[in-house]
Amino acid sequence: MLKINNLKAGIEDNQILKGINLEIKAGEVHAIMGPNGSGKSTLASVIAGKEEYEVEGGEIDFEGQDLLDLTPEERAHKGVFLSFQYPVEIPGISVSNFIKTSINERRKAAGLESMPAKNLLKMLKEKMELLSIDKGYLSRNMNEGFSGGEKKRNEIFQMAMLEPKLAILDETDSGLDIDALRIVANGVNKLRTKDNATVVITHYQRLLDYIVPDFVHVLYKGRIVKSGGKELALELEQKGYDWITKEADKQWA
Amino acid sequence: MGLINNIKSYSETLNLSAEKKGLFNSFLQNGFPTIKDEDWKYTSLKKIIAEDFSIEKTGNDIDTSAISKHSLSFKNQLIFVDGKLISSPQIKGVTISAYADFESRNNDAIMNLNASLCNNGFNISVAKNTVVEQVIEILFFTTTENNFSQYRNQIIVGENSEIKFVEKIQNLNNSTAFVNYFTQINCDKNTNVEFNKIQNNTSNSILIDNVDIYQKDNSTCDVNTLIFGGNFTRNNLNFEQNGNNCESNMNGVSVLDDNQFADNHTFVDHKSAHCRSNEMYKGVYLGKSKGVFNGKIMVRPDAQKIDAFQSNNNLLLSEDSTIDSKPQLEIYADDVKCSHGCTIGQLDEDALFYMRSRGIGVEEAKAVLTYAFASEAIDNISVSEVRLVAQKLLADKLNVDLDFSL
Repeated sequence: MLKINNLKAGIEDNQILKGINLEIKAGEVHAIMGPNGSGKSTLASVIAGKEEYEVEGGEIDFEGQDLLDLTPEERAHKGVFLSFQYPVEIPGISVSNFIKTSINERRKAAGLESMPAKNLLKMLKEKMELLSIDKGYLSRNMNEGFSGGEKKRNEIFQMAMLEPKLAILDETDSGLDIDALRIVANGVNKLRTKDNATVVITHYQRLLDYIVPDFVHVLYKGRIVKSGGKELALELEQKGYDWITKEADKQWA
Repeated sequence: MGLINNIKSYSETLNLSAEKKGLFNSFLQNGFPTIKDEDWKYTSLKKIIAEDFSIEKTGNDIDTSAISKHSLSFKNQLIFVDGKLISSPQIKGVTISAYADFESRNNDAIMNLNASLCNNGFNISVAKNTVVEQVIEILFFTTTENNFSQYRNQIIVGENSEIKFVEKIQNLNNSTAFVNYFTQINCDKNTNVEFNKIQNNTSNSILIDNVDIYQKDNSTCDVNTLIFGGNFTRNNLNFEQNGNNCESNMNGVSVLDDNQFADNHTFVDHKSAHCRSNEMYKGVYLGKSKGVFNGKIMVRPDAQKIDAFQSNNNLLLSEDSTIDSKPQLEIYADDVKCSHGCTIGQLDEDALFYMRSRGIGVEEAKAVLTYAFASEAIDNISVSEVRLVAQKLLADKLNVDLDFSL
């Protein structure tokens, strides 16, 4: 589904990603871990198409097309979804209007009619139940005055409504208490199918107890320095990142 | 030629009283204000008054379809065509008549012109203890070409009474129409008055709109000014609080493009204690449009424990658009709360990316964000019909497709 090939990107003169290689197949869950400043969020932003990052080389092949040739909205239309680490507040637009606009813009791009209101309401109801969200929430302004946990839950709610092929969850666990974490993880798990894939970017092992990855990658100084199965996350939890980063530093020295 | 000469010739056809002659002469002495006047620094009338207008010319009758096209279809309608009152509602406790002269304390040059030569308008008097549930819709139509016309209106609201208005000035021909307009509203004790102005006139219309409001104890008065149309609009909105516990609320939205110009001058004169004023003006400027905001708040020595808030937020969405914004606070009381904020900016890049990452195209995302920005002031309007019309005008002007029922 996704094949990242020697991706180099940065901001202004500062190169952050120094050659990322990663392959993700449909049905898989990948976790990307790593110390602060290693480039995890940059990778997520570059895949989603944030324009302030400059791509210096490489490609991001998504189902046969290089995402780097597409605008952020075109990537979304193809089924790429980013759950933001810091979701943006948009006063004046209700959650329901925002989601409706997102769904219909995507349908428009696919040559489809707008979703009938009846279907939309039914879907909203289903997904709200899935994530234990109450009804008053739909008329609130997008993320405005939301707590950290509510914002993250709103991200996963949008993901549930948009049904992406590739979902990238950037630090979705930060700001969540244990109950909210369970609800969100449960939602993500229920949305998994053999046709979609999930990338979980996280600092801590905690989230991976609930969303169990097939592969774990360690990102350090803009490169993936170690990959393994889910047991790698447990090992990192016990031993920290030092043993990996020191080895990488030695190799690059 | 030019407007002043035409006005002079017109004045000679009138049989002016000595007092009105005096007012007219003082207008002639100063003439129309120029950009040398502090209050007109960013607002030039030079090109407008060089044009050749006919004065107060009357035209043809209009059919009901023209009226319904431009109205909000309220049951109670007060309709003027070329200065003449053609329809007036019957409401219990409310006396409505065509123009009757009244004195005003506002004596700048343009108001002197209005006071001296104007003989069109309305007087509305609301009896004590009258709550008028139905909104009164006031419509002014101009049918004649290149016409300069004036209106002079007075609304007197008796103690413990409530009333709401929505007003539109509409030019029905394709030429320039210049309206010099004045409304004085006297709010007695414990009154609640709301006045909505929908300024969506044709692209060659010129308006100078003056509203003076005098408030007594425990009165609340809201004025909502919604500017989408017109070529040149100058609004002078003045509140004078002459009693304790008054509240004055102003919401404004200007959404301009092409060569449109709109200037909102507001003045709140806090003369009494324990009063409030709230002011929220939002401006969106596209194309080569230009906006001016000047918000003056005066807090007199006796106006202790007042709470005054003013905000003016602007989005400049094109290279060639401009806004001049000036808050003016004069505070002579020591135990007061006054705050103001003014912003001029572009759309939030993070919000734009957030929306695009959800599949919303860049133009649509910009329009939706702009809509959200401006609609905050519209949300404060209490009359739902006005709110809906304003939301629709806003969405149409920004080309946004939003479903308001969800």
